[in-house]
Formats: sequence, structure tokens, C-alpha cells
Amino acid sequence: MSDQAREAQLRRAGWRLMASTVRPQRTWVILGVGAGAVWTSAKIVIPAFAGAAIDDGITPGDGGVILKYVVLILLVGLVQAGGTALRRYSAFRISYRAETDLRQRLFAHLQRLHFAFHDQAQTGQLMARANSDIQQVNQVVIMLPLTISNIIILLGTVAVMMLKSVALALLALGTLPLLGYFATRFSHRIAPVSLALQQELGDLSGVVEESVAGVRVVKGFGAERRQEARLTIEADSVLDRALVAAKMRSNFLPLVDFLPAIALVAILWYGGHLVLDNKLQIGDLLQFNAYILMLIWPLRLTGMLVAQSARSAAAAGRIFEILETDTAVVDPPHPKPLPPTGHGELRFESVRFGYSSGKPVLDGFDLTVQGGEAVAIVGSTGSGKTTVARLLPRFYDVTDGRVLVDGVDVREVALHDLRRSIGIVFEDTFLFSDTVSANIAFAVPDAPLEAVRAAARLAGADEFVVDLPDKYDTVIGEQGYSLSGGQRQRIAIARAVLADPRVLILDDATSSVDPTKEHEIRAALQQVMQDRTTLIIAHRAATIALADRVVLLDAGHIVAEGTHHELLENSEMYRQILAQGTTDPGASTEPERTRP
Amino acid sequence: MRPAKGGTVSAPWGSIFLDEALSRDEAERVLKRLWRMLRPWRLRIFISALLIVGQTACVLAGPALVGHGIDDGLKVNNPDKLNLYASLYLGVAVFALVMGRLSIRAVARIGETFLRELRVRVFRHLLSLGMEFFEREKTGRLVARLTSDVEAMQELVQTGLTMFIQNILVFVGALIAIFLTSWQLALFTLVVVPPVYVASRWFRRASNRAYLDVRERIGTNLATLQEGLAGVRVVQAFGRERAFTRRFNETNEAQYDANIKTARIATRYFPVVEYSGVLGIAIIIGVGGWLVDAGTIKIGVVLSFVLYLNSLFEPVQQLSQLYNTLQSAGAALHKLFDLLDTKPSIAERSGAIDLPPVGALEVDEVSFGYAHGPDVLHSVSLTVAAGERIALVGPTGAGKSTLAKLVTRFYDPRSGVVRFGGTDLRDATIQSLRERIVVVPQEGYLFAGTIRENVRVGRPEATDAEVDAALEALGVRERFSLLPEGLETEVRERGSRLSAGERQLVSLARAALADPALLVLDEATSNLDPGTEQAVERALEALTAQRSVVVVAHRLSTAARADRIAVIDHGNLAEVGTHDELLRQEGRYASLWASWTAAQSVRAS
Repeated sequence: MSDQAREAQLRRAGWRLMASTVRPQRTWVILGVGAGAVWTSAKIVIPAFAGAAIDDGITPGDGGVILKYVVLILLVGLVQAGGTALRRYSAFRISYRAETDLRQRLFAHLQRLHFAFHDQAQTGQLMARANSDIQQVNQVVIMLPLTISNIIILLGTVAVMMLKSVALALLALGTLPLLGYFATRFSHRIAPVSLALQQELGDLSGVVEESVAGVRVVKGFGAERRQEARLTIEADSVLDRALVAAKMRSNFLPLVDFLPAIALVAILWYGGHLVLDNKLQIGDLLQFNAYILMLIWPLRLTGMLVAQSARSAAAAGRIFEILETDTAVVDPPHPKPLPPTGHGELRFESVRFGYSSGKPVLDGFDLTVQGGEAVAIVGSTGSGKTTVARLLPRFYDVTDGRVLVDGVDVREVALHDLRRSIGIVFEDTFLFSDTVSANIAFAVPDAPLEAVRAAARLAGADEFVVDLPDKYDTVIGEQGYSLSGGQRQRIAIARAVLADPRVLILDDATSSVDPTKEHEIRAALQQVMQDRTTLIIAHRAATIALADRVVLLDAGHIVAEGTHHELLENSEMYRQILAQGTTDPGASTEPERTRP
Repeated sequence: MRPAKGGTVSAPWGSIFLDEALSRDEAERVLKRLWRMLRPWRLRIFISALLIVGQTACVLAGPALVGHGIDDGLKVNNPDKLNLYASLYLGVAVFALVMGRLSIRAVARIGETFLRELRVRVFRHLLSLGMEFFEREKTGRLVARLTSDVEAMQELVQTGLTMFIQNILVFVGALIAIFLTSWQLALFTLVVVPPVYVASRWFRRASNRAYLDVRERIGTNLATLQEGLAGVRVVQAFGRERAFTRRFNETNEAQYDANIKTARIATRYFPVVEYSGVLGIAIIIGVGGWLVDAGTIKIGVVLSFVLYLNSLFEPVQQLSQLYNTLQSAGAALHKLFDLLDTKPSIAERSGAIDLPPVGALEVDEVSFGYAHGPDVLHSVSLTVAAGERIALVGPTGAGKSTLAKLVTRFYDPRSGVVRFGGTDLRDATIQSLRERIVVVPQEGYLFAGTIRENVRVGRPEATDAEVDAALEALGVRERFSLLPEGLETEVRERGSRLSAGERQLVSLARAALADPALLVLDEATSNLDPGTEQAVERALEALTAQRSVVVVAHRLSTAARADRIAVIDHGNLAEVGTHDELLRQEGRYASLWASWTAAQSVRAS
């Protein structure tokens, strides 16, 4: 399918998505449109009453008639006020509800999408879907009832004016479609300029950010001038774009006053002559004037909406694209339980697997790990060692062959059960912005503090946690107290241990632990691994030595097997890989800058 | 999960909304200073003001002309007068169109060029500030100064300022116009202004508070969203998708609730304003009719009053909205001025001299502590001869890195002197200091741009050939030439990201290009990727040959290769000497070395 066809298809899907998001709000839509219609009618009626009061009351000097219209105007005013309240509330309510629901739906879907999807998607992109794209959608939804009311206002007003004098109506209204046209054109044209301006502002903040983050380098090389020159370039681009946008505004905004003024001139001149010829009354002129002024905003808004709707549909289409992506890893229709007494025996049988489109990483991979055994998987980058670990909790599904835990194919177990029985410590330890205890108790949120502390002790985390300002209640993560790499890893180990999984996966889990502290963690890990099947993926000899057995992987195949010492003796490749992971444990590391 | 309290600093709304309003005093000072800063633009400002006044006058003239057309033309059956007023109205409208266009452009040019100057000026000042400032302030907050704070003013510049002036003019003009036409009817009509004013004031305050809440909850919700996406692998690994979706539901609904609250406020405000408008019409008709009957005014007056009513209403509403924009712009400007007022701690002395091209580094009885903290270095003395390589060794927090920062004059000592070639660093020109003494930080930091541009940071005026030579000298030129786009590879672009080791190589090449007399190296603590580890070693070897080197060593193997080793402990210089000397002394270094070699042999077994 061509890009254009795909885009058009996505836009249509976007409209459908918007419709389906608004559908549950239909009561409010009806209320909003109804209120809008009432409000509109009131707004049309009041100038009519005012005109009538002038012609039938003031001109002949009839006080009774004047009073009658004054009271009528005040009463209709109440209706108008009520109408505006309901009209506004329903518009807000529909759009906020739609926005909230759509965001919730998107989030829930993203949480369920498989790893392969998240490997390809950038967090920033997904954030944009859930944030700015939803706002774009919202722009149309919030204007929906108002626009429908506006169409009513337009038709109603035009009808009333036509009834009074077709010629004058045509003359007065003649310039107004132009207003709608210019509003649409302006919105269309300014959108890419605003976008470009945003882009330039982003680039500018990029220069500021890198200069501040890299201030040591900037100062170290005396590169202040260079950075200033770069910033000046960006500031100039911002200036240029802003001036282009200003020029567009200057071409459009004065028209908003000018075009209705032309209509008012037409009314005064042509309408005036009609009055002189006794074909129209002065009050009618007043009415025409009021209507023209009243039509300015609806026309501007409608023009803007027309321009906006294309962007909104595109944004909704992008959201739809995510929602239509199905999760590749799903629960089996009839899940089997894992044998309750299993010790975590693992079997990989002729496993074949490759990441999307690439060539297979594993091809005919066989491995059996006894229950309670600890196996280290060693290999150079790209050998497939991490992949082995990721097939186990079904982060990815094998292309061919089987992976079994305690004799059951992982694809036949309920995902939740499977993952709860496997504890994993990732290389990049992601911690949530929450307390230490909530992070450790992530898998079992209602775990008692004692269990949390026990897990922390096992992982060697307790010793530094008790020194934190609020101990286990200290907020860590991106927005909280910043921990060192090693400390984070120990928290992650505690998190994996707390759920008491039958299988533990350590995916390069000790790589950023301070070498001087490694022996402490080793002791902790030894304890953690007791009576548990463990897969260790590591570079460091000290960590690998914890395993009962070492499997050396190269290009997706096992090339050697044995104990750490056996492999050291027999395999040149093994010795090389270990040598690359060497660090001196003698010296210390500098402290990370911690902040409270 | 609970995100931290307070401003989400890097978020665009962070600094705009979460600030207290300025006090009257502060606002006055900000305005005065702004006016001083605007000196170069004053003539343009004056011209723009004239344009705006002219345009507004034209817009205001409309209803009056309609009124006259009716009274002098229609009422007395005078078609010539009618034609005259109609064509006058047309002329005035065209005039307003032209002046509107000119004034928008003029104001934008003033505002945008001012913002550009402000950006460059604040940035220049920011970079002139000392290291202690950057270690104190968070990156996000500083970035916000130049982004969201300046952008807070952008809205004012783009439309706000013109609208502000226009609305005041329209309101005052309409006021004058109706009083000139009929002061009696004007007095009655004005009855509706106080309720609109009071309601608008209430609305402004209430919606300000409510939006503050909305911003905060959006921030919280976005943080949850971000966390749910960044941590999705962990969430799935522990089977917590549902729980996390529920958590998101809470923050998401909280955002909804806050939003709906703003809707309720608007729902209360707008009916009041609209009804006041209707009341105005009723008053004009009722009272106007009575006045016409009494012969005080003509019918045309009633008509023009109805038209002017809008000109009284809109400004009051708009001004109350604009007040927010003004407030946040004022607050942003205040913060920018604060930043501009921060004095650089490391400044060039007047009469500063260039450092000699080569020389020994002398650290003479230097003591130092951060901010108001205790001393972290106690009277340290150390000399590095020209061409000597010295390694700083010691436990975490001993003060090795601090000493390195003093040597490069990121900080000045509390007491004692650091000299290079006999000159106190504080008496040297910053330019010569940065040329002679160069620091290579732990991690290879790269700027956006190509590899070549990144190397050139070392010496901006260097030619392409010189950049090539620097890379060649470190033996890494070929490595980068092999990349698909060679030295023109964009380092920050997705897909072509360099590994940690390669980044370090670029960083070393930068230092090689700068060709300093003294090199200060902060050794990387983390492991490099196996493929580049050796290349980095070789490059370091080449780079450190034939110049003085101070290396903050984290690996004893590095220390052992240095000419001399200085052991720093608790801010004191514990031992200095060659590797062999220190081993013979059997002090701290010897014991560190012993435990390291022991660990080595365990591994080799």
C-alpha cells in the first residue's frame, strides 16, 4: 500500500476512533447540542427584541411596549445564561472524559504489548502518542457540541436576515464566508510554522541541555564561545520562525476586524437607503449589525476546526496504529498449572529464535538445567546468551522448538503464573519512583516489612538501606534519592528474591557492582541461589564462579560446557572472554554525586 | 508510584505555573530593569504604540459613524450624509486593517529580537558561572531558565502585549465615546461593569488555583505514564500489568477530576458575564427609550450604545485573562534577572597574564572545602615536574577528584596556591589556562554534531587536517573512517550511537587536538566494551607521552605505570613516591597492591 493510501486509511480509522471514544458520552453530546441550540436562539432573539423595542417602542414613544421588551430581554437572557452554562460544561465534560478514557485504554494496551514491540518503539514516541496526540484529538472533541450549535446559529441567523431583506442579507453576509475561508487557511498555514518553531525551540533547549550536562567539558576546554555560537544559531532560527509566524498572524488577525466592518458598512449604506425608501426600519439595521458581530466567532471557530480536524484525525490515526497492534505473547486458552512440587527444572529443546526479520540468534539450541542447579551462560556480545534467558519468561516466543519449566511448555502456562515463578534481575536495573520497600515488594505489594527486609538482607541491600535518610521509606528512582549502580542492582536482586521464584535469572546483574563490594554480594547471591534453579549471565569471573556449571555460547550454539575451572583450562575462547571482563578490585571508585 | 513532590523541572509548565506571584515591589523592580534593557528598542516601541493607538481609534470610530449615519442621514432623510458616513466608515476600516498589520509585525520584531538577545545573554552568563553553581543547581532547572521561562514571555510578545494595550485603549476609548455621546445613558450603562469586573477577578483567581492543580496532576500523571513505559519490562517480568494499569487509572482520573473542576469554574463564570451583557442591552433600551422620549438623546445614540457595549465588555474579560500571562512573564523575568545577577566565582582578574607554555605544576599548602562545608583537603603540597606522570590513588571520597578540580581551576583553594610554571592560576587568563591545562572527564561526553565537530571542541579554530592528525596520533583515525559516514557521523543520531569506548576515544582525541602542557585524567570506573578497551589504552599511552599528566586512578595497574604515585587519604597526602619506593615503604599503597595482586592470582587459578 502506498504511504498516501495508508495515511488516508489511518485518518479514517482515526475518525472512527474519535467517534467510538465520544459514543459513551452521547447523553452529554445531546445535552450540549440542545443547550447550544437554546443558547443560540436566545442570542438571536435578544437583538430582535432590541430592534423591535426601538421601532415599536422608542420611535413611536410607547413606554408600555419598551417595558414589555425590556422584561422579555431580561427573561430570555436567563435562558441564554442557563444555555451557556450547560453548553460549556457538557463540552468540557465530553472532551475530558474522552481524553481520560482514551489515555487509559492506550496505557493498558501498552502495558500488555510484547517486548518486541517495546524494543522497536521509543519511549518518547509513545509518550507523544499518550500526551500530545491525545491533546490534538481533544481539540476537535471539545469543539464538537459548540460547532453543531454554531451551524445552527449560522443557519438561524441567515434565515432571519433573509426574511427581513434578501438583498441586504446577501450584501451583509457576503464578506463573512471569506472570514471562514481565511481562518481555515490561516490555521493550515500556521500549523507547520508553529511545529517548526517548536522544533527549533527543542533544538535550542538541546544546546542548553548538553552545555549544562557537559559543563565540565565545556569549561575544561574553554569551549564557552563555541557553545555560545551554537546557541546563537539556534536562537536566530527561533527568531526567524517566530517572525514568519508573526507575519502570518499580521496577515490574518486584522481581517477579523476588517471583514465584519465591511459588512457593517454595507448594512449602513445599502440598509440606510432601504430605510430611506421605507423598505426597512431602523431597528432592522440594529438587528443586522448585532447578527454580523455575533457571527464573527462562530465563523472563526469553524474555520479553525476545519483546519484542526485534519491534524486531529492524523493524531487519532497514530493512536489507532498502536491500539490495533495485537500482543504477540498471549495467555493460552486453557492454561495448565506448573506442577506445585517442581524444583524448577528447565529444558530448551531444539529452540530456534530470531528477533524480528534478523537471522536466527538461536538455532537448534538444547539445554537442560536440573532443578536447583545454577548454570552460568557465557559468551561474547551477540552470542545469544541473553536471549536464552528471555525466552524463559516468554518475553519472546520461540519460532521453533520448546522451552519447558518442570516439564510444562511455557506457552501452556498462564503468563502471570509463569512470570511469578521466575525472578529476573535485569542488567539495567529499572527502579520505580517509590519507596525502597515498595520497590522491593514490587511483585508482592502486600508483603510485610519483615519479608522485605529479609529479601534485602539476602541481596546485601539492607546494610546501605538502613543508612538512607528514611531507611525503607526513602523514595528512590528517577525523582528520588539517587543510588549508585551497585546499590540499585542489590535492590533489584532483593525485588527478584522477594517473590520466592523457583527460577532465578541474573542477567548481568553484578556488572555495575563496585568490585570491592562484589564479594559481599557473592555471599548474598550464594544464599539466594540455594535450592533454586539459577541462570547466570555474566562477564565477571567472580560471578560466574558461583555457578555449578558453565555453558559457553557462540553464535547461538553451545561450544563448551563444564565447571569454571575446567573451561579455564580447556577453552581459549572462554579465557579470552573472561579477560575482557577483568577489572582491578584493589582500587576504589569515586562516589557518585548523590543528592537528597 | 508516588512521584516526588514539587516542580517537574524539565517539563515546560514547571516553572511557569508553580511560582508565587511577584510582590508589588518585585514587579516594580522587574519592570524598571526591563525598561532599561529595552533601551535599544525604545524608538520602535514608540512607533508601535502609535500604530496600535491609531488602529484602536479606527476600530472605535465604527459605532460612532453608524450612529451619525443614522441620526444625520436616515432620520433627516439626507442620503448624502448617509453616503458620507458609510464611506468614512469604509476608509477607517481599511486604515485599521493596514495599521493592524503593521503593528503586529512591529511588535513581534521588537519582542522576538529582545527574546533572542535575552537567550544569548543569559546563556553566556550561565556558562561564565563557576562549577559550584552547576553542582548546586539541577540541570533541568537551568535548562528551564532558557526554555520555559523565556517562552513564558513569548506568549506575551506574540499576542499578549498588543492585546493588552489594545484592550485598555478600547475600554478607555469606548468609555470616553459613550460619555461624549450621552453621559446620562453612559452612567446607567456602566452599572453592568462592576459585576463583570468582580466576576472576572474571581474567575481569574479560582481558575489560577485550579490550573495549578491541573498542571501538578498532569505532571504526576505523565510521570506515571513515563514510568509505566520505561519500566514496562520490569512490570511484565513480575506480572504486574494490571496493578500498574490500575495505578495509572488513579493518576489519570485525578487529572480528570482537576480538569472538571476548571470546567465547573467556567460554568459559573460565563453565565454571569453573558447575563450582564443582556442586562446592559435591557438598560440601554429601557433607559435609552425613556431619554429619547424625554428628548435628551436621539435614536441613533441608542443604536451606537448597543454597539459600544461589546467594547466595554470584551476588554474587561480579556484583561483578566491577560493578567495571567503578565504574571507568569513577570515571574519568569524575575528568575532570569536572578540568574544574571549571580556572580561568576571563577573570574579573570584584571591584568591577568598568560601562563607560560610549559612548566611544573605546584600545589602549595592547599586547603579546600565545598560551599560552607568542612575542608576536604588539608594543606596538600605536591609538585608535578614538566613531563612527569603522576597518579592519584586513594579510597572513595578521599579527595582525589577534588584535587584534580583545583588543578584545573574549576574551584579556587580556600588557602594555599596552585601554580603552573610559577604563575598562580588565579593570576592567569582563563584562555591560557584552558589551553595549557586540559581535563578529560571519566565518561566521554559528546555534543550533538559529527565526530569531527566533537573533536574540534578541543580547539575550535583547528583545520580538518589538524583534526585528522590528532586522531591519527592516537591511532584511531582509521577506526572512525570505517564508519559509513566516517568522521561526519552524527554522534547523537539514532542507530549510529557510539559505544562508551568510542566516545572515550573521541574525548581523548579532543584533548590531543587541544595539545595541552598538562593533562588531567579522570579514569573511567566502569568497564568499557571489550572491543575498544585496548584502543583506549593505546590512545591514552600516545596522548600522555611527552606531557605532564595527573591521573585520578581507579585501577592500580594504571597507577603502577605512572612515574610517581600520590596516595590521598581523608584529604591528606599520605604517601608520595614511585611504585617501587612505595612498595618498600610497606604503607597504605603497599597493602592496596598486595590485596589486588592476591585477587589477580585467584582469578588466574
